[in-house]
Amino acid sequence: MTAALTIEGLQKRFAGRQVLDGFSLQVKRGEVMGLLGPNGCGKSTVLNIVCQLLQADTGQVQLMGQPMAQLGAGARARIGLCAQDCALYPDLLPQENLHFFGRLHGLPATQRQARVDELMESFGLGPHASTRVGRLSGGWQQRLHLAVALMHRPELLILDEPTAAVDVAARLELWRLIEGLRDSGTTILMTSHQLAEAERLCNRVALMQSGRVAALGTVPELLARVPGQAVAKLQSRDNAATIRRAQSHGWVVLQRAGQLSCLLPRHFSLREVVEALDGPEVSAVSVQAVTLEDAYLELVGDGGAIE
Amino acid sequence: MPPRGLLLDQTLAVAQRLLVEQWRQRRGLIFWAVFPAAMMLLFGLVYAHNDSMRAGLDAAAAGILMGAALFFSCLGGTVAIIAAERERRTLRRLLASPLHPAAYFLGVVLAQLLLAVVQVVMLYSIAWLIGARYHGSLWLGGLILLLSVFAYVGMGFFLGARFARRSEEVVVALSAIGVPLLVLGGTFFPLEIMPRTMQAVAQLNPMLHMNQAFKGVAAYSLGIAELRFELAFLLVFCGLSLALGVRSYRHLLLSEQRP
Repeated sequence: MTAALTIEGLQKRFAGRQVLDGFSLQVKRGEVMGLLGPNGCGKSTVLNIVCQLLQADTGQVQLMGQPMAQLGAGARARIGLCAQDCALYPDLLPQENLHFFGRLHGLPATQRQARVDELMESFGLGPHASTRVGRLSGGWQQRLHLAVALMHRPELLILDEPTAAVDVAARLELWRLIEGLRDSGTTILMTSHQLAEAERLCNRVALMQSGRVAALGTVPELLARVPGQAVAKLQSRDNAATIRRAQSHGWVVLQRAGQLSCLLPRHFSLREVVEALDGPEVSAVSVQAVTLEDAYLELVGDGGAIE
Repeated sequence: MPPRGLLLDQTLAVAQRLLVEQWRQRRGLIFWAVFPAAMMLLFGLVYAHNDSMRAGLDAAAAGILMGAALFFSCLGGTVAIIAAERERRTLRRLLASPLHPAAYFLGVVLAQLLLAVVQVVMLYSIAWLIGARYHGSLWLGGLILLLSVFAYVGMGFFLGARFARRSEEVVVALSAIGVPLLVLGGTFFPLEIMPRTMQAVAQLNPMLHMNQAFKGVAAYSLGIAELRFELAFLLVFCGLSLALGVRSYRHLLLSEQRP
């Protein structure tokens, strides 16, 4: 089956800086692809190019097998964009915002009304139908923002850090909504700084570094590339002594932002780790399974491994 | 170019949205109503009080409509609309939608035209109470009003796209570029008392032709034949305005592309 989105060899320079350097990626139909990477690695530039807000210097983007250059402005009708900032009209009611964007997409009145009713219900916006958007909480605004992006039933939904500006409760609710979209087969390309978000929502994750994909795979595939099954996080009054002791067991020791971590070859219990590191300088130990965060730091960032 | 039906629906959607927003921000609407009303009242009373100036009352009403009311509502309003779209980040969403630049421009023109009609009715009601009269053809006056709104919106798009990134900069753009155009448009001084060079430069200013055309029809009952030069200039400028508006919309896209 044709991929929903195929990006090949994108290059983009801004003010002499190479923001994208041969970025390539394929998003399959019905999958949620996460795009992760440090600030300035080019995530938003990729999304802007896909949404036709920006032109690449070189490279090609295909939507459902058709080159974007051929689709022209018509491609915009097939993509839904939900950015981190709530781009809504604060003096309009939620359903008025939905109607407005529906009209821009050329939805006929009856079809538009049915879609507005459907989205108001499925996003739980009904009780807020008579409240101007500017008076809704950030979480409700973001929910409406997502609904607006879906108004015209896009073939590809772009989510640019969709939960970055909301509180924990709203984030969980948005995750639930995005999970629902994923389960209904919506193709989504999303960026996020929250690895837990990507771990929960994405079928596959592309880790970006310096304008290109550094690692790509499902979350278990990326986790498998970390040289360890579990991570022990330590606090020590004498890092050097603790590192020596951990390395004597053959563990990979990492130091990131002052925090010591040991990649363990299998799932050790907390007692086993404490006994192995037995020493007065260790003040706190926790053990957890390897997460996407560890994979990210290992595959994209400076892994911080101490030789 | 999208199908004509879609272009029309997009135009109506933009106009409707702007009018609903205006209606909900009633405070802003009140100020837009109060300003020309107060101007008409003050100028009108001065003109009516002095016998030597009374004859100029009809022309003053036309000048206040073009130079004060429409200048601030259509030109200032358009700059404010662009700045607000930027600030609310809705501009990015519009640019990422299939909205055609011409539909956006025409939607703003339509909304501003409806507001302008309300201003005309209000301003001429006050003017009538003071003693001013509208003498010419209503159709021709309406045509000049339409062309003037078109021209103001075109200039507003240009100023908004290039000089007003935030709402605080709306006043700066308006006073730095709009007000000099107002002076050159013959709003404060008649063209005849300006130096020759200024008069020549003023001929390129659409505000001058709006003022002269509307004064001509409203105060002196002039017809199409007498106003052909002003009308031709405004017609050409309307075409340029549409091109300027579409170009400015594309400029907005470029400015939004900066990382």
